[in-house]
Amino acid sequence: MTGVAGTIEAEKSRDIRKRWLLSLPALLIILIAATGPLLIVLVYSFLTPGPYGDVQWLPSPDGWISVVMEKDIFDGTFSLADAHVSIFIRSVVLSLATTVLTLLVGFPTAYFIATRPEKTRELWLFLITIPFWTNLLIRTFAILEIIRNEGLINGLMLKFGLISKPVQMLFTDGAILTGMAYVYLPLMVLPLYASMEKLDFRLVEAGYDLYATPFKVLRKIIIPLVKPGVVAGSILVFIPALGAYVTPSILGGGKNLMLGNLIELQFGQGRNWPLGSALSITLMLIVMVALLVYVRNAGSQGSRHG
Amino acid sequence: MAELNAVEIRHVSKIFGFGEFAFAAVDDTSVSIRQNEFFTLLGPSGCGKTTLLRLIAGFEYPTSGEIMLNGEDIAAMPPFKRPINTVFQSYALFPHMTVAENIGFGLTMLGKPKQEIRDRVDAMLKLVRMEALAGRRTSQISGGQQQRVALARALAPQPKVLLLDEPLSALDYKLRKDMQIELKRLQAETGITFIFVTHDQEEALTMSDRIAVMSSGKILQVGNPREIYDAPADRFVADFIGETNFLKGRISAMNGGIADVDTAVAGRISATVPLDFQASGEVTVVLRPEHATLCPPNQPAACQMTGTLENVVYFGTDTHYHVRLSDGETLFTLREQNKPLQSARFGQGDTVGIALEANAARVLRN
Repeated sequence: MTGVAGTIEAEKSRDIRKRWLLSLPALLIILIAATGPLLIVLVYSFLTPGPYGDVQWLPSPDGWISVVMEKDIFDGTFSLADAHVSIFIRSVVLSLATTVLTLLVGFPTAYFIATRPEKTRELWLFLITIPFWTNLLIRTFAILEIIRNEGLINGLMLKFGLISKPVQMLFTDGAILTGMAYVYLPLMVLPLYASMEKLDFRLVEAGYDLYATPFKVLRKIIIPLVKPGVVAGSILVFIPALGAYVTPSILGGGKNLMLGNLIELQFGQGRNWPLGSALSITLMLIVMVALLVYVRNAGSQGSRHG
Repeated sequence: MAELNAVEIRHVSKIFGFGEFAFAAVDDTSVSIRQNEFFTLLGPSGCGKTTLLRLIAGFEYPTSGEIMLNGEDIAAMPPFKRPINTVFQSYALFPHMTVAENIGFGLTMLGKPKQEIRDRVDAMLKLVRMEALAGRRTSQISGGQQQRVALARALAPQPKVLLLDEPLSALDYKLRKDMQIELKRLQAETGITFIFVTHDQEEALTMSDRIAVMSSGKILQVGNPREIYDAPADRFVADFIGETNFLKGRISAMNGGIADVDTAVAGRISATVPLDFQASGEVTVVLRPEHATLCPPNQPAACQMTGTLENVVYFGTDTHYHVRLSDGETLFTLREQNKPLQSARFGQGDTVGIALEANAARVLRN
C-alpha cells in the first residue's frame, strides 16, 4: 500500500516540478517586466536630478520631500506644496466622480442590455465596444471640438439665441470629468453586464410578488446580486482615471492638471526625474490603499448579504 | 348573496406577439375559484396554465378580460400591490439572504413592525418545520428544504390566494409524495385559497378539491377529481387524465341514461350517456383500463372481445396488458391488480378474451 502511495506521491511531485519548469519562462518575463521597471523607478526616486533630465548617482531624499513639500529658494525652509496637494486632491475627486458618473450611466445601460433577447445582446455589446476602435487621442479631440467655445454646443446655442456669448466649458474640471466618463464608460458597462447577465430575473419577479416596489427591488435584490460587477467596474474605472494623462491634458488645457500630467511634467520640462519617480510611486500607493479599503468594505458587506 | 369567489376569471385572453405571429396563450377563458379551495390547473406543457397563473399573479397583464379578486378587478394592478403570493417552480429564493430573511422579506416590504415580522417568521419556520435552519443560506439547504422555505416565504404575508407553479416537479418521487401531503396540511391549516399548476394528472387527482383541465389556452372541463376521471367531458380530457380506451360505435337504442352501442370489436355494449347530452348515431365510447379483465378466449359468454396479447408490462402494484383487438387496428389497454403468489396467466402472443365490468363504458361527448 505504502509503495503504491509513495509512487503516486513521487509522480505528483514530479508533475508539479514539470509544471513549474514549463511556466518558468513566462514567470521570468513577468518578473522582469513587472518588477524591473518598478525597481528602476524606486531607485531613481532616491537620486539627484541631472541638469538635462536623467539622474546623477548621488543619493538624495529631495525627490520624496518635494512630493508634498516645497523648499524656499532663498532661506531653504520647507512649506507645504499647495500646487501638488491640490493636484492630488483634484485627481482623487475627479476619479471618484468619474467612477460614480460611469456607474450611474453604466448601470441602466448594462441592465438594458442584459434584459434584451439573447440574440440582440451581442449587437448591443458590440455597439458598446465601438469607441475602442478609434484612438483615444482622436476621441478626446472630438470631445474638444464639441465643447470648445467655437464648438458644436456653443455654436448651436448661439445660433438659437439661448446665450449671447460662448460658455466656457473647455479647460474646466467639468470637461475633464465628461471626457473621462466617456472614455471609461465601457470599462464600467462590461463587468456590470457580465454580472447582470447571470442575474436570475425570476428573483426580480419574486421581489415584485412579495410587495417590493420597483425601487425596493433594485435596492434589495438587483444591486446586492450584481455587486461583484459594481466592484469590478469601479476598480477598472477608478485606477486608470487616477493616472489619466491624455484626457486631462487636452480637455484641462494644462491648467487643470491631474497626477498623470504632473508626473509627465517632471520627466519633461521639469527635468526632475527623482520627483517624477516619487510621484509615480505615490500614485501607485494611493491606488493600492484605495483598492484595499474599497475591496475590504465591499467584501465585508458582501459576506453579510451575499 | 352567495359568498364571493376568491378569484374570478372572466373572458381573459393573453396574446403574445403581433400579426401573423400572434399566439393566444390564454384564449377567452372564464373560471371561478372558490374561497379556501385547493384548485388545480392541469394540462400539458404549453397549454396556457402557467400564463393564466402569471396573469393572476400580475407578472403579465391580460390582453382582454377581467380578473377579480374577492370581487375587485385587479387585472391592471401591479404584482406588488396584489395580496397574492407565488411559489415559483424554481423556488426563486434570494441567494443573498438567510432562510429567515427570505421568509420575512414580504412582511418587511409591507412595512410591518420588527417584532411582528420576527414572530411571524418564527411561526412560519415552525409551520414548515425549518426552525433549525433559520440562519442558513438558501444555497446551504437541500431541494426539499428550499421548497419549504419558498412555501413559508409565500405564506408569511398571509395572502388571500397562494399560487403554486409546478412546485413539486424538481423533487424526487418520495419527497414529492411527502410534499403533496404537506401541502394539503398547510392548505387546511392556513385556510388560504391555493391555485396549483401541474402537468402531473396523478398529483392533480390526489390533491385538488377541483381541477380545471386546460389545452391550447382554453379550459375544457372544471370539476372535482372524481368527475374529471369518471366523466371526462371530451376526448382530450379522457385521454389526458389516466389511460383510456376509445371504441367507435353506433347507438341502436336508448333506455334512460343508458345507450346500447353496437361496436365492431365488442358487439353490443351498454354505455352511460352524460346527462345533458343528446346522443345518437356514431359515438365514441370510453373504457378505463382498470374496468376490464382478461379471460380465457374459449368462454364466449364471459368475454365481449378477443384479441392478441402484444405486450405485458409489470408495474409492481399491477400489470398492464396491451391487446390488439380482432379488427387488427385497435390497441386495447387493460390493467389488473397483482395478487400474492400469482404468476402471469397469459403470455405475449396468446389469444385472449376481454371481459368488461358492468357500467364501465361511457359515451363521450364529441
